[in-house]
Amino acid sequence: MTKEEIEKLSFEAALSRLEETVRLLESGNVPLDDSLSLFEEGITLVKLCNSKLDSAEQKVVRLRVNTDGSAVEDPMN
Amino acid sequence: MLTEDNVTTGTDIKSALSVTELNTYIKGMFDSDRTLGDIFIKGEISNFKNHSTGHFYFSMKDEGSLIRAVMFRASASKLAFLPENGMKIIAHGRVASFVRDGQYQLYVDSMEPDGVGSLYIAYEQLKKKLEAQGMFAPDRKKAIPKIPSRIGIITSPTGAAIRDMINVTGRRFPYAKVILYPSLVQGPDAAPSLISGVEYFNKNNAADVLIIGRGGGSIEDLWAFNDENLAYAIAASHIPVISAVGHETDFTICDFVSDRRAPTPSAAAELAVPDTAELKNKFNNVIRHEASSVNKMIKSYRDKLSYLSESRALKNPQTMIDDRRMAVLLSSERIASAQSSTLNRAKLMLGRAAAKLEALNPLSVISRGYSAVYTDSGSLVKTVDQLELGGRISFKTADGEASAVVDRIKKDNNIGE
Repeated sequence: MTKEEIEKLSFEAALSRLEETVRLLESGNVPLDDSLSLFEEGITLVKLCNSKLDSAEQKVVRLRVNTDGSAVEDPMN
Repeated sequence: MLTEDNVTTGTDIKSALSVTELNTYIKGMFDSDRTLGDIFIKGEISNFKNHSTGHFYFSMKDEGSLIRAVMFRASASKLAFLPENGMKIIAHGRVASFVRDGQYQLYVDSMEPDGVGSLYIAYEQLKKKLEAQGMFAPDRKKAIPKIPSRIGIITSPTGAAIRDMINVTGRRFPYAKVILYPSLVQGPDAAPSLISGVEYFNKNNAADVLIIGRGGGSIEDLWAFNDENLAYAIAASHIPVISAVGHETDFTICDFVSDRRAPTPSAAAELAVPDTAELKNKFNNVIRHEASSVNKMIKSYRDKLSYLSESRALKNPQTMIDDRRMAVLLSSERIASAQSSTLNRAKLMLGRAAAKLEALNPLSVISRGYSAVYTDSGSLVKTVDQLELGGRISFKTADGEASAVVDRIKKDNNIGE
């Protein structure tokens, strides 16, 4: 995965990719060149996850439910 | 014994009654009264004593009055709840007088809580029913996701509960979006409103985890969370549900049927989201772990590399060439020696063959003094049968030939047999 691709990931996707990366590295079956790029990818993923957490601002919405069951999200606060 | 038939007794000083007679008379009046013999009384329990014999002794009272009551063990042991002071009850039994003390009291054979109490009974009944249906079974419980990105909250939009939950999720894990489904949380319309919330999130797959609940209140306030249909809606939810109703001591059907029970709304919010600080700590561990994995791999390659670089091939290539040369040399010598031994063997075999050939050469026999004898017709004489007396024979020696006449034939009979 390229750095650009990684940066487009959601927090959850980044996290699961990170877990996959760790699993691959732990298995020890990865060629050295790949393992180094995996490691770099892991670091990038961790940085991404951390920065997503740091920059996250809580979003709270209040649903306005219509009679047909559909709902509109109104900002709360 | 006094009866109502002889009420005249005790009406003057001469026919004065003993106390026992009076109390016995009064007891008879109580016992013959139909109303007192089968009566429901409502009131509040006070002076409750759970005697070691298993009998309950207590009073029932209201704002203006009080009556002593007793419930014997046989009835008391059948109660689903333990009465306590201040509890409002409706008791059934009879009123009778106790001759010894001259006091009347209520003999209770059954009781049930009044008001709140009947809700309690209903709660217990529903709980038993749902439990029998397996609705609370541990294997039905869904796991709460570790990292939810959407938290659906079904509760009142006003009040402390939603504030607490927003604060806790915001502090711990601001990354998650909080989606509030504003619901009634008390009163007759609350249960349908809560059910709509559960159904909304499920139908639209609008959340990763649900919190349903409200802040503390009386049992009547929390009653909507004991609704049977709400229980079925929660059980049918494919989104994991955390129940957070009232305080830690409040238990509702909603708590039992949900995938997790949180003692309070704040605690529910803590269960729903991970703590960012812990998560970051985990990430750091991951980096450390990854680094150690990679380092381990690099080290093992390094070890292999240094082992290989120590090898003779890389360290002193000249020796390798010498070795090869030596090998070539050795090989050629071996070929040469193999060659020569083959030659010798051939010579030897040739010698033997030549010797055999020599032995077979007839001339060489003749040369040792033997002669070959021929008949007149030229055939080699091998037997005397070929000869006749007076016949002519010739013989060859190594250096010439001669002829002779046969003048005697004698056959050796043993030859050829």
